[in-house]
Parts: sequence; structure tokens; C-alpha cells
Amino acid sequence: MNDTVRQFRDFFVSLRLTVVLLALSMILVFAATLDQVNLGIWAVQEKYFHSLFVLWRIPGTAIPLPVFPGGYLIGGFLLVNLISAHVYRFKLTWRKSGIFLTHAGLILLLIGELLTGLWQEEFQLRLKEGETKSYAESYRYNELAIINTTDPKFDDVVAIPDQLLADQTPIQHPHLPFRVMTKEYYPNADLRMRASTGDNPSLATAGLGPQITVTPLPLTYKQDERNWPAAFVELVGPEGSLGTWLVSPQLPAPQAFEYGGHSWRIGMRAQRAYKPFSLQLEKFSHDVYVGTDIPKNFSSRLHLQTADGRDDREVLIYMNNPLRYAGLTFYQASYDGEHTTILQVVRNPSWRLPYISCAMVALGLIVQFGIHLIGFIGKRRAATA
Amino acid sequence: MRHRHALLSLVSLTLLAACRESKVESYRVPKEKPEELPPGMAAGGSPGAPAAPGSMDMASTTVPTASGSDLTWTAPAHWKAKPAAAMRKGSFTVPGDNGAEADLSITAFPGDVGGELANLNRWRGQIQLAPLSEGDLRGVTTRIEQHGLTFIVVDFANTDAAGPRRILGAIVPYNNATWFFKLTGPDALVAREKPAFLAFLQTISAPAPAAP
Repeated sequence: MNDTVRQFRDFFVSLRLTVVLLALSMILVFAATLDQVNLGIWAVQEKYFHSLFVLWRIPGTAIPLPVFPGGYLIGGFLLVNLISAHVYRFKLTWRKSGIFLTHAGLILLLIGELLTGLWQEEFQLRLKEGETKSYAESYRYNELAIINTTDPKFDDVVAIPDQLLADQTPIQHPHLPFRVMTKEYYPNADLRMRASTGDNPSLATAGLGPQITVTPLPLTYKQDERNWPAAFVELVGPEGSLGTWLVSPQLPAPQAFEYGGHSWRIGMRAQRAYKPFSLQLEKFSHDVYVGTDIPKNFSSRLHLQTADGRDDREVLIYMNNPLRYAGLTFYQASYDGEHTTILQVVRNPSWRLPYISCAMVALGLIVQFGIHLIGFIGKRRAATA
Repeated sequence: MRHRHALLSLVSLTLLAACRESKVESYRVPKEKPEELPPGMAAGGSPGAPAAPGSMDMASTTVPTASGSDLTWTAPAHWKAKPAAAMRKGSFTVPGDNGAEADLSITAFPGDVGGELANLNRWRGQIQLAPLSEGDLRGVTTRIEQHGLTFIVVDFANTDAAGPRRILGAIVPYNNATWFFKLTGPDALVAREKPAFLAFLQTISAPAPAAP
């Protein structure tokens, strides 16, 4: 082993690194908790925990400076530290089996958090009574949907994530006879109808866009508000531009146009995740404590159906009683009025890991304390005998 | 060296955690039913864009309006105001007996939004009524002139359905936009609310022009 490798090893196995990382993580959690007032929970998670570094923008510029290690860096180093300490320093003996089990639980917890960050997807499903949907919608991400509606029974959809619009990447897709070029993208914008005079001309040349002015707004981080993106999108065919459309989830329906003998619609909407099954809301119940408006219980009775007929049954989702189906968990999250339910739909293949790791930590501690207790009792007996 | 590789791969895995993939997807889905809102524009869009988890409703947003001037109105006292959702100028719940409810929506869109006939047929489609032809329009619409505005008022009911439903609506062209006032719900409740709805229409007016 050469010196460099030894230095690396000594660095990663040291207890001092553990203490420093734990101290850093405490400061990170404290700062993130305070910053929730300004940024809200989503942005705080992204900025402090789902990042390698906490970035700070130099005022007046867009230059980000790393000012503190982020959650992934601290968690990653803790993981490496813990594993390498076991590989190089600890020796597995029965007397230390409890400590090993506890540490294995901690390692699993850190891996679980990493996998959750990588794999977890959160969507919502909003259903009115009687309504059926086979897709869930993203809380935060949007997409540009270009839909070929020519077929009388089916819609052929090309969905472009708004991140690609933000990057202004030209998009050529085999199912589209035109290129999609983003002229402008605003992550949050206010739409107003154009006054007859005084406004600058719109970038849009087709659809509703020419009659609407778009005012960019600062991003909002409040938990009860959302950002409403807007974009000017130009479609370019082999013979030139087809026009520029304004798209935004605030415009409630896709705008229609004809091209190449096909009927098309273009619009921006919340990102959708289609599922191989459908849910119909049969009944939404909302109970409050008598004489108050305080929610006591709310529940959704749904009809679950798969296209192949394998599943066709009623399910009841209520608070703390989610539906787990096809790798997804449906929680009763909220409601809108008396007849609309809002379900949170979560896909997290690693959801069991935190439970397993907590059980391992608890069992490890019991084993370790048990070994000490037995040893202590044994010594007392020997002393009194 | 073996251990160093293990450490490096762990660090790489950690770095990967920062990446999220964005890619274009294409798929085929069965045609969707037209959305309830707004009339004249509904064709598979998603007006109910999701709100943040835990919130009761989506953030209220300003709807496009002409020169920033909106129509104004006074709703009957027993109508309960709801938070305005995206593209809704106003929203009320009209309570009835035994938990029945009707919904009053006020929306505004640029231009003529497809024209009078298309919008009225869209409303008819929402309560499973057959579409009208251009020639039928005169017989089903009432035109009211007041406060310098023209109201095209309709009353559509489907009493054959299992749950009879009715739509009372008014279309008001104003300042290069079209405003829609629509009361929809169970037939009996909406019919009972008709006088209140017509009285409500009489309160609608355009703001006075600013003094020079």
C-alpha cells in the first residue's frame, strides 16, 4: 500500500471524521430548518439535502459558490466512513455483535436515503366523484404535450419535460413531423389579456398567444403556492416555421392546429405518469368533528380496474390507510370541496429499508446491552460466590 | 487497492444521486372526455393542475383580463365563495337540500373562444344533451342588454338522465374577451336558483372609465 492510499484510508477510517461529519450534519439540519421560512420545504430539500454542496449566489450575479457541504456529500462520507471503519478497524467478535448489527442498520439507513433520493417519485391524483383516470400528475414538474388527435379513438402524445424547454434544446422526435424550438421559457409567469394598445408585440404568432401578455415573476417557494411556467414554442417543419405558440398550464386546454393532414393539439400541463390501470372515484367522504370545521376523517372509495380485467375491485383509502398497488402507494392527502379527492401517489421501491434498518439498530442495541448485562450479572455472581 | 475501488464506487454512487433524467416520451392513450371547464376551450386539457401537497386548493392566479379591468358583480348572500382557481375569475358553491350542491363558475378568455354555438354545444355536451344547429340558437337563447353589456342567457336541462342536471349560463363579450357565467348542478336545485341567478346577472357591470 503506497502512502497516498494509506493517507486516504486513514482519513476515511478516522473517528475524528465521524465527529466532524455529525457536527456538520447538525449545522446543516439547523440551517435548513431556519431557511424553510424563506424557501419552503421543497426548495430546502433540494438546496440542503439533495445536493453535494449548498450553493450561494453572489449577489447581483448568477455565479453559484459552494459554501457548505450538502446532504449527499455528508451522507456519502458518513457511509464511506462507517463502512471503511468496519473493514479496517473493527473485528467481528460475539461480544461486539450488537455494535456491528447497529452499525449495519445505520449503513442501511444511509443507503436507503440515497436510494429514496434516486428512485422516489411523487405524484398526485385529483379525482371528482364519477371521474376515472389512469394517470397521476406531478406536483412540481410540467411538460409540453404535443398530441396527434387524428385517430377517433386514441391520442398519440409526445411529452417533453419542461426542463428541456428551459434548456432551450431543439427537439426532433420521430413521432413529430416538425422540430420543436423553444424561443423563451419563464419558470414562473403571470398571463394577462393583451390591452388593445401599449403592449409590446407577442412572440406568439398562432393560437391564443398573440392575445396574451406574459409577465415573468420571481420563483415562489411557499408551500401553498406553485410556480406557473410559460414558454413560447416554435414548430418548424421542412418548409419553414408553422408558427409560435404560447404554452402554459394556466391556459386550460391545449390549442388546436392542423398540419400534414393531421389534427394536433399543443399545450403545457402538469407532468403525467400513465399507469396500466384506472381508478374511478365512487364516493368521497369528509367528516368533521361535530360543531366544528376540524377534519376528523376523510376517505375515498374508488373502483380499481386493469385493462386486462385481472383486477376489478373496490378499494377504500383513508387517513393512515393507503392503497399499495403495482409498486405505488396511494395516500389520502387532501381534498377540494365536498366531492373532489386529492391522493398522493408515491413510488419508492426502497420504502422498506428505513423500517428494516430501524429494526436492526434496535435489535443491535438490545443485543449489545444484553451481552453487557449478562456479563455484569456473571461478574456479580462470581464476586458474591 | 481492492478497498480503494470500493470507496471510489461508493463516492460515484453518491455523486450520481444528484442527477435526474429528463427525456422525451411518446405514448398512445384512449381519447379523454372533454373537461368541464372552461366552455369553448375544453378538449382534453388539465385545468385542475395539481397543488402542492397538503394544500386545499391550487394557488390563486390572476386570469388574463382586458387592460386589467374586470367585470364586477354581487353574489347572493347564500352562495358560498370558493377560492378562485386557475383561469376562474370567481367561484361559488350554491348549497341545496340534503347536501346537494351546484357550482357557479366565472371565467374569461381572450377572443370569442370558438363562437356562441360551439360554446353552447359544449355546455350541452356536459349534461349529455344533443348539440344544437345554428338555426336552433334563436329559440334557446335570451339576449339581455344592460349596463352597456350584452348577455346571451341559456337554460339547458337534461331531465332524462339518472341524475337530472341543469345548466344556467350567460355569455358576455366584453373588451375583446368572452366572459362565461355558468351555474351547473342538480336540475331541481339549479331550477330553484334561477331567480337568484338572473338577479345576480343584473349586478354584473363593467368598471366606469377612468376620469381623464
